[in-house]
Amino acid sequence: MPTRFSFLASRLSQTVLVLWVVATLLFLIFRLMPGNPLVAYIDPNFTAEVQQALLRQFGLDQPLHVQYAVFLSNLVRGEFGRSFFSREPVSQVMWQVLPNTLVLTLSALLLAYAVGVVGGALLAARRGTWAEAWGIPAVLATRAAPEFWVGMLALALFSFTLNWFPSSGATSPGSAYSTWWAQVASWDFLRHLTLPALTLALYLQGLPTLLMRSTMLEVMDEDFITFCRMRGLPERTILLRHAARNALLPVVTAFALGIGYSIGGNVIIETVFSWPGLGRTLVRAVAAKDYPVAQAAFFLIAVVMIVMNFVADLLYSLLDPRVSHERQ
Amino acid sequence: MSGSERAAALPQWTRAAATWRDALLVTWAVARRDRFALAGLIIYAVLLAVALAAPALAPYNPLDLNYRPDGDVAANEAPSLSHWLGTTNLGRDVFSQVMFGTRVALVVGFVAAFGVVVLGTLVGLVAGYYSGWVDTILMRLADVAFGIPFLPMAIVLVAFLGPSIWNTVLVMTLLLWRDTGRVIRAQVLSLRTRSYVEAARVLGASHVRTMFVHIAPNVLPLSFLYGSLAVGWAILTEASISFLGFGDPNVISWGFMLQDAYNSQAMARHAFYWFVPPGLCIMLAVMAGFFIGRGYEELLFPRLRRR
Amino acid sequence: MPLLEIENLTVQYHTLRGAVQAVRGVTLSIERGRALGLVGESGCGKTTLARALINVLARNAAITGGAVRFDGVDLLQLSGGALNDYRWRRIGLVPQAAMDSLDPVYPVGVQLVETMRLRGGLTPAQARERAARLFALVGLEPTRLRLYPHELSGGMKQRVVIAMALALQPKLVIADEPVTALDVIVQHQVLRTMRELQETLSLSLLLITHDISVVADLCDDVAVMYAGRIVETGSVREVFAAPQHPYTMGLRNAFPSLRASSARLVPIEGYPPDLASPPNGCAFAPRCPFAVQRCWGDDPVLMPTGGGRLAACHRAMEADVLRIQAPQAFARLEAIGSQAVEGGAPGGGIP
Repeated sequence: MPTRFSFLASRLSQTVLVLWVVATLLFLIFRLMPGNPLVAYIDPNFTAEVQQALLRQFGLDQPLHVQYAVFLSNLVRGEFGRSFFSREPVSQVMWQVLPNTLVLTLSALLLAYAVGVVGGALLAARRGTWAEAWGIPAVLATRAAPEFWVGMLALALFSFTLNWFPSSGATSPGSAYSTWWAQVASWDFLRHLTLPALTLALYLQGLPTLLMRSTMLEVMDEDFITFCRMRGLPERTILLRHAARNALLPVVTAFALGIGYSIGGNVIIETVFSWPGLGRTLVRAVAAKDYPVAQAAFFLIAVVMIVMNFVADLLYSLLDPRVSHERQ
Repeated sequence: MSGSERAAALPQWTRAAATWRDALLVTWAVARRDRFALAGLIIYAVLLAVALAAPALAPYNPLDLNYRPDGDVAANEAPSLSHWLGTTNLGRDVFSQVMFGTRVALVVGFVAAFGVVVLGTLVGLVAGYYSGWVDTILMRLADVAFGIPFLPMAIVLVAFLGPSIWNTVLVMTLLLWRDTGRVIRAQVLSLRTRSYVEAARVLGASHVRTMFVHIAPNVLPLSFLYGSLAVGWAILTEASISFLGFGDPNVISWGFMLQDAYNSQAMARHAFYWFVPPGLCIMLAVMAGFFIGRGYEELLFPRLRRR
Repeated sequence: MPLLEIENLTVQYHTLRGAVQAVRGVTLSIERGRALGLVGESGCGKTTLARALINVLARNAAITGGAVRFDGVDLLQLSGGALNDYRWRRIGLVPQAAMDSLDPVYPVGVQLVETMRLRGGLTPAQARERAARLFALVGLEPTRLRLYPHELSGGMKQRVVIAMALALQPKLVIADEPVTALDVIVQHQVLRTMRELQETLSLSLLLITHDISVVADLCDDVAVMYAGRIVETGSVREVFAAPQHPYTMGLRNAFPSLRASSARLVPIEGYPPDLASPPNGCAFAPRCPFAVQRCWGDDPVLMPTGGGRLAACHRAMEADVLRIQAPQAFARLEAIGSQAVEGGAPGGGIP
C-alpha cells in the first residue's frame, strides 16, 4: 500500500540518518580525546608491525577528513581494530559477547511482556477495586527500585543465602561446549541465566503492565466495544477478541522498542551478575581504556537500539490496518 | 496517550498554572485528591529536611574511619547503638552515609530535572511555535537523542569528561530533554492556533513575546509533570553511573554506597544493613516522583475518572 | 397486542453534578410491522431510551423505574442471561455513528460472520453465505466483505451496521440517527433501502432522529419527545398535518420544505431545561408561546385526544386554533426572547 510504503521509507531514511550521526559522534569523541589521537586504536605495547598495519588500516597518518571516510567504511565492514588487552580483533570479541546479551535481553523481555500483558489486562478488569489501587503503585515500585539494588538483593538471598543459583558469569568455570547452541541449551547456562533474567524481567514488566492496562481501559470505552455488547456477544469474547486485540498494538510496538532500550540498559544487570555481554564489555573497556573495544561495544548497542526502533515501526504498520503518514 | 492527544485534552487548567502561585495551588489540589501523591510530597519533604539537617542528624562524618574501644577498626559491624546501621568494610558509619547521601540525591535530582525540563520546554516551544525548517531540525535532533543509548553514552562521556557529579548532571541534561521536548512541542502545536495567540500577534506582539508570555504559561503544567518524573530518573541515573564506577569518587552518594558494598562482597557477608538502606532510599525518592507525576497527570488530563 | 410496550420508563445518569433525569417516564408502543419515528432535539433522551430498551447503558446510568414489554415479556425483570437472549436475536440496534461501531482491526465480513456464528449458531459456511445475502439486501457488493472499516465510506459503513442488525432476523430494529452523519443524497438512498427492508421483512422499526423530514419519509407513526418525556404521538400524517402540541407545531415551522419555499423558517427560541433539576410544571413552558398560568405549576400528562392520538398539553383541545396562530406566535417569541423566568408572565396567545 502506498501509504505504508512511504511511511516506512521515510522512517528508514531517518534510521540511516541517526546511525550516521551516532557514528560521526563516535568518531569525534574518540578523536578529540586529550593526548595522542592515535591512542584510540594503537596501544604502545603492540608490536611495531601491528602498529603499522593499524596505522594503514585506519588511515591514522592521514588528514582528519580522510580518517573519517576510512572510519566509516571500516565501520560498515565491522572493522574496529584490535583489543588492547586480548590482542584479538575486536569483531571477534564482539561476536563472543553479543549473543549472550541477546539471549539475556530476549528471555527477560519475553517473560516481562508475557507477565505484563496478562497483568495489565487483569488490572484493567479489576478497575476501581482495591487490587487496582494498590497494584499500580506496586508496579511503579518495580520501576523505581534500582536494577542493581534488586540484583544485589537477589544475589544475597538466592545465591549467597539459599545457594539456589550461581552468583556470576554465564557458565561455570572450566566448562566447555562443542557449539554455542549446546552451551545455551545446557542446564548450567540456564541456571546462570535465571537470576539476571528474572531481575531484568521484574524491572521491565512495569511498562507492558501499565501500558496494557491503560490501552485496555481506553479500548473498553470505545463505541465498537459497546456495539459488541449490544449484539450480545459473550464478555470473554469481547475482552479477548476485540478489546485485547486492539490494545495489543501499542504493546507489541513497545516490545520491539523494548529490545532496543533494554540492550542499552543491560549494562547494569550484566555488571551486577558478571554476565559476559555487550554492556559489561563496554563498562570494562571504558574503565580499562581499551578504546577499540569500547567503541565497538557502544556502536553495536546503538545499532541494535536504532534498528529495533525501526522494526517497531515496521511491526506497527503491519499490525494496524490504519497506519498513515503522520504517526507521532 | 500520545503527546498530541494530551495536548488536545488539556482543559481549563491551561490558565490555572499561569502564575507560580497558581502552580502551588495546583500542587495542593493534587495532594488533596490523590493520597499517593500526598505520600510522594511527604517523602520529598522528609528528604529535604534530612538533606538540610544532615550534619546535625549524622552522628559521624561519613568518610571517617571509626574505631572500636580496643583500637581496631570497627569494620563490618552489624547495627548497634553506636552505629545504627552498622559500618562498612572500612569502618565508616552507614547511617551517616545515608544521611549525607540524601543531599547528593536531591541536588542531582533537582538540578538535572531542572536542566532537562528547561531544555526540553525551550526546544518544544521553539519547534512547535516556528514550525518549518526550525521544527524539522530540532525534531531530527530529538530523533538522534532518542537513538543514542542513554547509559552507554553517559558512561563514555563521563569517562572522558571526568568523573564529577556535575558532568553527570550535564550528560543527563544533554540526553534526557527529548521526551519533554516532544510532548511540549505537541502541546504548543495545538495551542498555537488558539484565538488569544492570534490576537496577541495581531496586536503586535513579537514572536518571542508571544512564545514566552502567551504560550509558555500554558505548557508549564506539563513541564512540571515531566519535571517531577525527571527528578526520579535523575536520581536513578546518578546512582547507576556511580554503581558502575564512573561516579565522583569524592562524593558519598547512595549509588556510591551500593558500589562500595558490592565491591566489598557485602552480599556474600549478608551485610543487609549496608546495602538495603541506600537502595530503599533511592526507591522511595523515585517512587515519590512517580506518584506526584501521576497525581498531576490525573488532574491535568482526567480521562479515567473513577465514579 | 403491540410488539413493544414501554410504560413509564425512567433512566438516570449519575454525574459529578448530581443525578440527571435523562428519561422521565416515557410511555410508548410500537405495533407489529409498523415503523415508529421518535423525534426530538439532541439531549432530549432519545439515545438513552434506545439503549435502555436492551439495557446497554453507560456505566453511570441506571434504569430507575417502568416496564419494557416485548411480546408481553417485561425485559427489565429478566436476568442478565435471559435478557441477552433478546439482544440481537429479537431486538437489533443500529447505533449512532456507525463509523465508530465497527472494530477497526477486523474486516467487516468477519464481524458480521462472528455475530451470526456466536449468537445464531450458524456454521462458518452458512454464516458466510448469509453475510453475502445480507450485503446484497442492504445494497452492498459482497466483494466488500473482506474490506476493513476504514476502507469504506460513511454510507457503506452505515449499511454494514444495518446488515449486522438484520443478521439474526430480529422482529424489532431500533435505528438511532441512522443517516445523520451522511450527506443528503446518500441519506435518501439509505432511507429508501431501510423502507424496502422494513416492508420486505415485515420488521417493526423504531427510528430515532431529530430530523422530522426523515420521519415523514420513512415512518408510519411518530412520537415527539421533549426533555425526557413524550409530548405527542399519532400517525405521521395526522401529527404533521395537525399537530396538537406546541412543540410539534414549532418543529414544523422550523424545518424547511422544498415545496413551501417562501415560508420563513422560525426557530423555537430558547433552550431545553437542565435535566439535573427538572422543572415542576411543563418542561416546554419557557419556550411555549401559548403557555398559561397553569402550565408553570402543573406538569401535563400524556392524554388521549381522540382517534388514537396522545398529547401532553393542557391546551391540547384548542390545538386547531393555536395551530393557525403558531407561526406568528413563535416569531413573536423569537423577537422578544423566551421567558426563561419560572412562573413568568404567560406568553402571547388567546387565554
